[in-house]
Amino acid sequence: MKKQKLFGLGLVSAASYVAVSIAVQATQINVAVAQDTNTAGDIGRGASLWSQNCARCHNMRDPKEFRDDLWKPIVTHMRIRAGLTGSDTRDILAFLKASN
Amino acid sequence: MKIPVCKSKLLAVAVLTLTAHVPSMAVANDVKQLKNELEILKNQVKELRVLLNSQTKLMARKSEVDAVKEEVKKVAKDSNEWKVADSAVHLAGYGAVGYSDREGSDGSFSLVTFNPIFHYQYKDLFLLEAELEVGVADNGDTEVGLEYATIDWIINDYAILVAGKFLSPIGQFRQNLHPTWVNKYSSAPPGFGHDQAAPITEVGAQLRGGFPVMNEGRANYAIYIGNGPLIELDGDEVEAVEAEGFASNDDGELVWGGRFGILPVPGFEVGISAATGEVGPEGEESLLRDYSAFGIDTAYQHGSWDFRGEYIRQRVGSNSASAAPDAATFKAWYAQAAYKFLPSKWEMVVRYGDYDSPHASQNQKQWAIGANYLFANNAIAKFGFESNDGLSGERTDDDRFLFQLTYGF
Repeated sequence: MKKQKLFGLGLVSAASYVAVSIAVQATQINVAVAQDTNTAGDIGRGASLWSQNCARCHNMRDPKEFRDDLWKPIVTHMRIRAGLTGSDTRDILAFLKASN
Repeated sequence: MKIPVCKSKLLAVAVLTLTAHVPSMAVANDVKQLKNELEILKNQVKELRVLLNSQTKLMARKSEVDAVKEEVKKVAKDSNEWKVADSAVHLAGYGAVGYSDREGSDGSFSLVTFNPIFHYQYKDLFLLEAELEVGVADNGDTEVGLEYATIDWIINDYAILVAGKFLSPIGQFRQNLHPTWVNKYSSAPPGFGHDQAAPITEVGAQLRGGFPVMNEGRANYAIYIGNGPLIELDGDEVEAVEAEGFASNDDGELVWGGRFGILPVPGFEVGISAATGEVGPEGEESLLRDYSAFGIDTAYQHGSWDFRGEYIRQRVGSNSASAAPDAATFKAWYAQAAYKFLPSKWEMVVRYGDYDSPHASQNQKQWAIGANYLFANNAIAKFGFESNDGLSGERTDDDRFLFQLTYGF
């Protein structure tokens, strides 16, 4: 019982540590770049990320299905579900807005 | 001498007469011509007047033009408003109807569900999202449930704080794959339903997000703390782990856990998840026992192929002072392959699943094969057959045919 608890605790702690430390590192590396170059999103990268990520869980949806203002909360919702970065999310949104 | 004079007079008179008549004839001709021209002009004026009248009737008045201008201005303003609004609203969701014909019983239309999902986003800062689950019960009553409702604070590009009732991040099927238009088969894999091996929802808070790994790789994480599940006892046995998100914590203990997923290359994901804590069963909340959950999941997409699999387990520890002193473990796994026959609209899916619980009547092994017709990627007709192997005489042992029509919006 105790072994199992320790195992679970250790596992979650390790995963959390790795996640947070890499996130902090990535933040430090990418913040400046993101602020300068990717506040609006890159359509080309967005097309690639859209094709790679949406089908991880569900069938692809046509960009023409929704208006720009509707895609925004949809993509935010999907960012949370799929664990996308903010930068990737902006790229995908830019692609969808350019393609609907 | 008189004669020449007379002649000359007559000649003069004749000349005068002639000269007097020649101009009057010319004038008469001119008048006639002018009269003709006047008549033509009159006709033309008449035609123009008719034309003018008809055009005047067709032409908009100034007030009408002004009204149109105002309308255009309003539409332009409205059009711009949704482009620049701080708040965005969106209604999503899905619905499904289904028919099932189980071995040993009559077929019935056994599924009617409607799950609206509400999204309210404020700038790039907050997202409020909520899903209702509305369905028709066996007795005809309408059942309404709150599947999840959270306020999500977007902290930065790599972290989002989610608070409220959320889908459990343990495993993948329950949090991302269970909606009918997403799930490629008409039913959940054995053990992945309510009160079985997979936690469903949790009430608490979680931090989740993603970050890049090398160039193409990505990783995602979720860490949460919540009230934990409710342990249901039946006599001297643990009946079920109800991990469905409770807004109370009678045992005073919190449960925490999370999931870490990595995509070394696009299209291939491996995730590991776990949770731990202490729980007090319903009715004997002070008799705490260990609780743990563990899961491994994977998914791979290549071309028209979609492969995925998942193992999930929930365990409740023993407590000798309890009416149900023994530990209980609920575990399940499944593997699934699907293939789209492009460019046709057909898709085939094969799934194998196995669920083991402390109760023999609930154990089930299942082969499932299905054919899906995609009217659109979000409007799907699913035909399926399940070969079930459970305890003889139990429903878990009955094979069944399934038909489902689902629409995600």
